[in-house]
Amino acid sequence: MKNRYSQIKNLKRVAFSNTVDSIVSLIIISIGITTLLTLSKWMIFSANWSVVSINLPLFLFGSFPNDQLWRPGLWISLFAIFSLITILGPQWSWLRKSLLLLWISYGPLGVFLLAGGIGLSSVESQNWGGLTLTILLTSCSAIFSLPLGIALALGRQSTLPIVKNLSSIYIDVMRSIPLIAVLFFGQLLIPLFLPVGLEIDRVSRAIIAFTLFVSAYIAEDVRGGLQSISRTQKEAGEVLGLHPFQITCLIILPQALRVALPSLTNQAVGLLQNTSLMAILGLVELLGVGRSVLANPEFIGRYIEVYLLLAAIYWILGTLMALIARHLEQQLTLEKKDL
Amino acid sequence: MKISYNAIAQLLIALLVIFVICILINNLTLNLIKTGLGFSFAWLFRPASFALAEHPLPYSPSDSYAWALFIGWLNSLKVIFYSLLLATLIGTCVGLFRVGKNALLRIVSAGYIAIIRQTPLLLQLMFWYFVAILGIKETITSPIGDLLSISNQGTNFLGIKLSAEFTSLLIGLSVFTSAYIAEVVRGGINSVQKGQWESFRSLGLRESTGLYKIIIPQALPAILPGLTSQYLNLAKNSTLAIAVGYSDIYAINDTIINQTGRPIEGFIILLLSFLFLNLLISNGMELLNSMITKSNNP
Repeated sequence: MKNRYSQIKNLKRVAFSNTVDSIVSLIIISIGITTLLTLSKWMIFSANWSVVSINLPLFLFGSFPNDQLWRPGLWISLFAIFSLITILGPQWSWLRKSLLLLWISYGPLGVFLLAGGIGLSSVESQNWGGLTLTILLTSCSAIFSLPLGIALALGRQSTLPIVKNLSSIYIDVMRSIPLIAVLFFGQLLIPLFLPVGLEIDRVSRAIIAFTLFVSAYIAEDVRGGLQSISRTQKEAGEVLGLHPFQITCLIILPQALRVALPSLTNQAVGLLQNTSLMAILGLVELLGVGRSVLANPEFIGRYIEVYLLLAAIYWILGTLMALIARHLEQQLTLEKKDL
Repeated sequence: MKISYNAIAQLLIALLVIFVICILINNLTLNLIKTGLGFSFAWLFRPASFALAEHPLPYSPSDSYAWALFIGWLNSLKVIFYSLLLATLIGTCVGLFRVGKNALLRIVSAGYIAIIRQTPLLLQLMFWYFVAILGIKETITSPIGDLLSISNQGTNFLGIKLSAEFTSLLIGLSVFTSAYIAEVVRGGINSVQKGQWESFRSLGLRESTGLYKIIIPQALPAILPGLTSQYLNLAKNSTLAIAVGYSDIYAINDTIINQTGRPIEGFIILLLSFLFLNLLISNGMELLNSMITKSNNP
């Protein structure tokens, strides 16, 4: 309490130290209050939130069959439960140690729950949509692009010239093309490169394109981590008589990944936001649902309500992901201390 | 002994890559034979037969595809150039506010950065186009004569007419990139040692003079690399123009692929134009960098 009081006192001193500062502060305060008042007045009186409440199932699950809604519902609830477990930091060490495994299994679990299979009726990927599809695209692309990115980063650091050059060319070319081009040509070209007769659906094509794109960026982040590891680590491993493979996997990579974790988190949040590009390439993920709802004559002109909802969902998800990554990082370090 | 082991490993990997590429090309040829299209660039010189709303150079539907692509490239360059200037301006201001003395400005700019960076650019562009520009009921004019007026038909800035699509793309890209530039500027200024601030203050210099004469020149070498990568991102993000209907290189390429059904050739053209754009930006920044380092160490 005392701390907060001194904070307020401090804020006063900092914000009103001289005339110019005071004028600027007063202008900001007045603009802030007016905006807040207008916005809350609009949200309560003018906004028509029926566009959100009527279409809520569409925003969450897309056009998933009505009698099977529990499947995406369960999957999204699991996301909330996993996040809660990660952020609260469980006391039992077995749970803490399996957190990473829990998150890695989240994507495949989603594919199983949505597509069906053993014991579940199968649902075509055209019916996947909304928040469910957004999370599916993000988690599956993230799982595939991390190993590929690490492999590319190691390739670029390699002493073998052919490996080094091939990885460098791939990374540099991929990083110079806009994502939407990769996604668009992924939809068009991937079928052309597959054996005649073999066809894969749009969602898988999107995941492949995202993986190819994001892995190039992950490779650069991991490379940053690899470069930060001191040479002595490698030498120590050599002195112990370890195989180069063991040195890379057991000594260098774990440390490099921990250094790269903050930038990898940024990539993951960026990936989440970039899945929205699939809305202009024919998938009805979160933004795609927003577009189709706005195209419905019944809800014409309700742009602000829909955009506010979408912005809020993306913002919350992104912030949550950053929070989870931070806690996961702490837990990984904790585990090291326990040993 | 070790050298031969490495050589074998390399040979194996090279063979594997060649093998995979061969399979892919084989599939591609089979698929192209099946669709009966083949691979050629002869279509580039046929008439494009679609109209473009915006063209900095004369253009008509009877002009060739190649000319349409060039117009698209110029349109891209135009929006990238102006967004780059505007984003740098806004980003620098927000970044300076973020490290400034006024606590309220610090909070406001931190909120601005958090909101802009955590929402998708595509959503922001749609907001600027459908809500902010097309939603304007009557023309808004700036207080000082006809310096600037905005309506749902576009912007009139000092007698230069800008379309609604260009305006919303310009604002959207600039606002989005400015949040990232602000973080780069903040990082650069924080990299300057605290002692530098203390020493110019103790010399009795004014805050603004010290900032421009002492702090920023020292922060620039740390800022420029980050700025370059943000400019490259801006160039890549400008392809989202298709969402607001601005005819940039990507949108025109898209139309052409739909007309001709030639995705492979289209992809190669897009790849080359972006490699060229990236070279242009990174070389420009390299030039700026060498100019600044020269003026810093005469």
